[in-house]
Amino acid sequence: MIESLKKTAQAAVAALQTAGADKAQANVAYTVTHEFNVDGGEFSLFRTLFDKQLAMTAIQGGKKGTVAQNRYDEKTIEESAKACLEAAASAQPDENWDLAPVSENEDFVQGEPTPDTDKLFDRCRELMADIQARFPKIMMEQMIVSHKEIMKAKANSYGVLYSTHEGLYSVDLLFSAHEGDKASSFFGSGVVTDSLDRPFMELGSIEKDLKDVENQIETTGVSGKFEGTMVVMPGCLASLFYSLLSDFAGEGGLLSGTSPWKDRLGEKVADERITLSLAPLDERIVCGERTTGEGFRAENFDVIQNGRLNAFALGLYAANKLKLPRGKNDSFNMVVAPGDTSIDQIIASIDKGILVGRFSGGQPSSNGDFSGVAKNSFLIENGKIGPALSETMISGNMADMLNRLRAVSSEQVADGMMVLPYMAFDGITISGK
Amino acid sequence: MIQDLLTDKKYLFASGANSELRAQRNLNRRAVLLNGALVGNVRTEQFGVSARVYENGVYGFSSTAEYTDETVKAVLQAASENAAFLARHAGKGKGPHKAMAPGSSRTAYDLNDVEQRTYIEFIQALDSYIAGKYPDLVSRTVIATADSMEKLLCVSNGTDGHSVLPRSYIYVVMTVAGADGKPVELFKVIGGGYGTFDRNFSKPESYYAEIDKLYEDLRQKAEGVYPEAGNKTVILGGILSGMLAHEAVGHTVEADLVLGGSVAGPNLNKRVGSELVNLVDYAHTALGKPTPLPIYVDDEGTAATDAVLIKDGILVGYMNNRESAERFNMVPTGNARAYLFSDEPLIRMRNTAVLPGTSKLEDMIASIDDGYYLLDTNNGQADTTGEFMFGVTFGYEIKKGKLGRALLDTTISGVAFDMLKTVDMVSDEMIWASSGMCGKKQPMPVGMGGPALKCRVTIGGR
Repeated sequence: MIESLKKTAQAAVAALQTAGADKAQANVAYTVTHEFNVDGGEFSLFRTLFDKQLAMTAIQGGKKGTVAQNRYDEKTIEESAKACLEAAASAQPDENWDLAPVSENEDFVQGEPTPDTDKLFDRCRELMADIQARFPKIMMEQMIVSHKEIMKAKANSYGVLYSTHEGLYSVDLLFSAHEGDKASSFFGSGVVTDSLDRPFMELGSIEKDLKDVENQIETTGVSGKFEGTMVVMPGCLASLFYSLLSDFAGEGGLLSGTSPWKDRLGEKVADERITLSLAPLDERIVCGERTTGEGFRAENFDVIQNGRLNAFALGLYAANKLKLPRGKNDSFNMVVAPGDTSIDQIIASIDKGILVGRFSGGQPSSNGDFSGVAKNSFLIENGKIGPALSETMISGNMADMLNRLRAVSSEQVADGMMVLPYMAFDGITISGK
Repeated sequence: MIQDLLTDKKYLFASGANSELRAQRNLNRRAVLLNGALVGNVRTEQFGVSARVYENGVYGFSSTAEYTDETVKAVLQAASENAAFLARHAGKGKGPHKAMAPGSSRTAYDLNDVEQRTYIEFIQALDSYIAGKYPDLVSRTVIATADSMEKLLCVSNGTDGHSVLPRSYIYVVMTVAGADGKPVELFKVIGGGYGTFDRNFSKPESYYAEIDKLYEDLRQKAEGVYPEAGNKTVILGGILSGMLAHEAVGHTVEADLVLGGSVAGPNLNKRVGSELVNLVDYAHTALGKPTPLPIYVDDEGTAATDAVLIKDGILVGYMNNRESAERFNMVPTGNARAYLFSDEPLIRMRNTAVLPGTSKLEDMIASIDDGYYLLDTNNGQADTTGEFMFGVTFGYEIKKGKLGRALLDTTISGVAFDMLKTVDMVSDEMIWASSGMCGKKQPMPVGMGGPALKCRVTIGGR
C-alpha cells in the first residue's frame, strides 16, 4: 500500500507538471479508523471509516493554487491537476511561494499501525467501570475511543519523496459531576497513545481531572475584584499558549504586522525560566509529524529559549516574505521545560490567587489582552487550595504575563500531544459578580 | 447531482433494525487576501457513502470514499457487523425506532460550482477599494468563502431525501493602531448567506458602504474605552441574542447533552426566563420567511419541523434524534445532522432564535441610565450548566438614555437560566446570522438570530 501511495503522489506531481506547473507537490493518504462512542454513560456506536485524501499544489509563474479531495484515481488526478492550475492562474504572482528542496528521502513507521480492536474495547469498558467505582459522581457525557491507521506519501517536483505509516489510539472524555440537582461545569480530558499496555485511567491527567471535577459540584464566587496569582493547569496552559503561538509567533500575527513580537527576534520577551519548544520528535509525543507541509524533514525547535524569542513558527512562504528563518516544523506539539518547584510548593507560596483548569474566553486580542471566565477552577488562599469557583472572570495581557512568572512546576503532564507543567503568573485581575 | 446508487439497495436492509444509507458531497472554496497578498487559494471536495444500522439499542456505522454499487453494499454490511458487535457486548434489549410514514423530500437548487477566479477577482476589487481609501490601516484581510453539502438519503423507516445546502460569505478584517499604539481590530461579514457565491455576490461596489461603516466603527473603537467591570444592565443586539440562543440555551437543550447531565434536565416545564422570552429552533421557515439555512429532512429520515424550546419563559422541549425522542416521550423534529459522509448524525441545531417582542430599540436605550449596548461578537462558549461567555468586539456605553463612547474588546458572562429571567424588554426587529460553524465532535453550519434584549449580565472590563 505504501509503495502504491508513493507512486500515486509522484503521478500527481507529474500530472501537475504536465498541466503546466513550474513547481508541484502532492500529498496522498489512506486512513482507517475504528471508533467506539459512549453517550450519556452508555455504549452507543461502533464505527469503521475508510477514507482517502489527495492534496495537490501547483506554483506557476509565482502563482499558487491548491485543490484537495478524497479520491486519487487516474481521472481524478488529471482533473484535479487542471483545476489546480486554473486556481493558480487566478492568483497574483508572488515570488515567495516555494517548496522544500530534496534532502534525504525516507519511509517512516511509527506508533502501532495495526489495531487490537478487542483490547481497545476492553480498555474502554475497563475505564467506564473504573470511573463508576472510583468516581461515582461523574456523569460521562461522551467518551470517544479510537484507533487510526494512517498511510501517507508526499512528493514534490524537487524530488522529495517521503512516506509514513503510523497508528495511534486516542481517548477523549467529556464529563461533569452531579449530586442531586447540583452539577459541576463540564470538562474534557484526553490522551493519545501507541500502546494498550496500561489502563487509560493511568494516562495523561485523566485520573486527576476526574477527581478535580468531582470537587467542583459545590462552588462559590469571589467577591469584588483583586489582583492575584493565576496558577494554570497543564491542559489550560495549552489553550493559552496556542493563542500566543498564533498571534505573537505565528504567521497570522507576523504577516498582518500585528504581532507585538514582530521586531523582537533574539530579544528577551519572557521570564528567563520559560523555554517553550515545538517538538514533534520528543519521545513523549506520539506519532509527531516527521515532515512539514512543504516537504521539509521536521525538526524540534525552541520558540522561547530561557525567556529569549528564539524563533518564529513560520512556514516557507511567510519566512520568505518576511525574510526570516522558517519554523522547523508545523506542529503544535508544545513542550515547556519544567521548573524546580513542586506544584504543592507553588500553591503554598501564594497568599491569594486562582488555580485555573479551563479558560472560557474570547480569542485574545492581537495585542495580547485576554479576558474570560475561569472554569473548573479553585480559589487559592493562604497557601491552600480552597473551594471551587463559579462566575469568576480573569483578565490580563499575554505579553505582560510571561514576564510576571512566579514559578514553573517540576511536574509535567504528557498526554501524547504535549508535555506541559503548571505555571504560576502574578498580576492577574480576578473578579467576581 | 449525486447519482442514486442507494434506492435499489433497500432490499438489503435487515428487518428488526433501522438502516440508513447516505451518499454525500461537501465542497469548500476559499480565497484569502492579507494586505493584498493572496495567502489562501484552496478548493476542497469530500465525497463518499456511509451506512448506519440501529440494533438492540446501539448503532453500527461505516463509510468509504468509494461510491459504487459494491461499496454501498460493503458499508451496509460493515455497519451491520459493527452494530452486531456492540449489541453483543453492550446491547440494551431495545427494538427498532417507532415507525414513521414513508416520504420523500427533494431540494430544488442548481448547485453551480463557481470558478476560483470569481472569488479572487471579487475580493481583489474589495481589497483595492480598502487599500486606496484607508491607507492608515495596520492590516487588512478580505476572505471569500463558500461551502455546500449535497446529500442523498435512503432509510428503512421515514423520509428519503435529496438535499442541497449551499452558503457563501465575504469577511473583512481591519486593524488600526489604538491610542496606546497597540493594534485594535474589527471584522464584519459582508453580505452572503444561503446560496452559491454567484447568486449572492454580483457587484463589489454594492458592498463599499458596508466597508465604510466597518472602518468608521473601527475608528470609534480605537478611541474607545473598556467597560467598567461588574453586573450591568445591557442591551444585547440581535447578533449577541442569537449567540445566546445557540450557545447558552440551545446546547443545554440538545437531548444528548440533557442525558449527559445538562441543566435543562431538571428544568423541563419550569420557568427559565421572563415571560417575554420565547425561543425556537426553526427548520425551514421562520416568521413567514425562509430560515437562513433551511432544513427539510434530517439524516435519520425525519421530516423537519420546528422545535419549540422556551414558550413565555417556560422550558417546554428539547431538540432530539429519534432515539432520544422516544426516551423523553417527545416528537422528533429533525435535528439529527451529519457534516461529512463519514460522520454519523448527531443532535444539532438548525436555525435557533429568540423571538421578537414589541419594544422599540430607541425606547430600550432611553430606559437605561448607566449600561451598555453590545453589538458584535467573535466568539461564544457555554457550559452544560448554562454558564456562558461571549467575546464582545463592538458596542457602546449608554449614559442617561443615550449612546456614549465605543467599547474596546471585552467579555460578558452569566448563567443563561438566571440571566433570561432579567429580560424586561425585547425589540421588535430580528437579526439573523448564518456564517458560523457550530463545533460538537463535528462542525456544522447553523443559523442563529434574535431581537435586541434588555437584561443584566456580568461584563469583564479589564
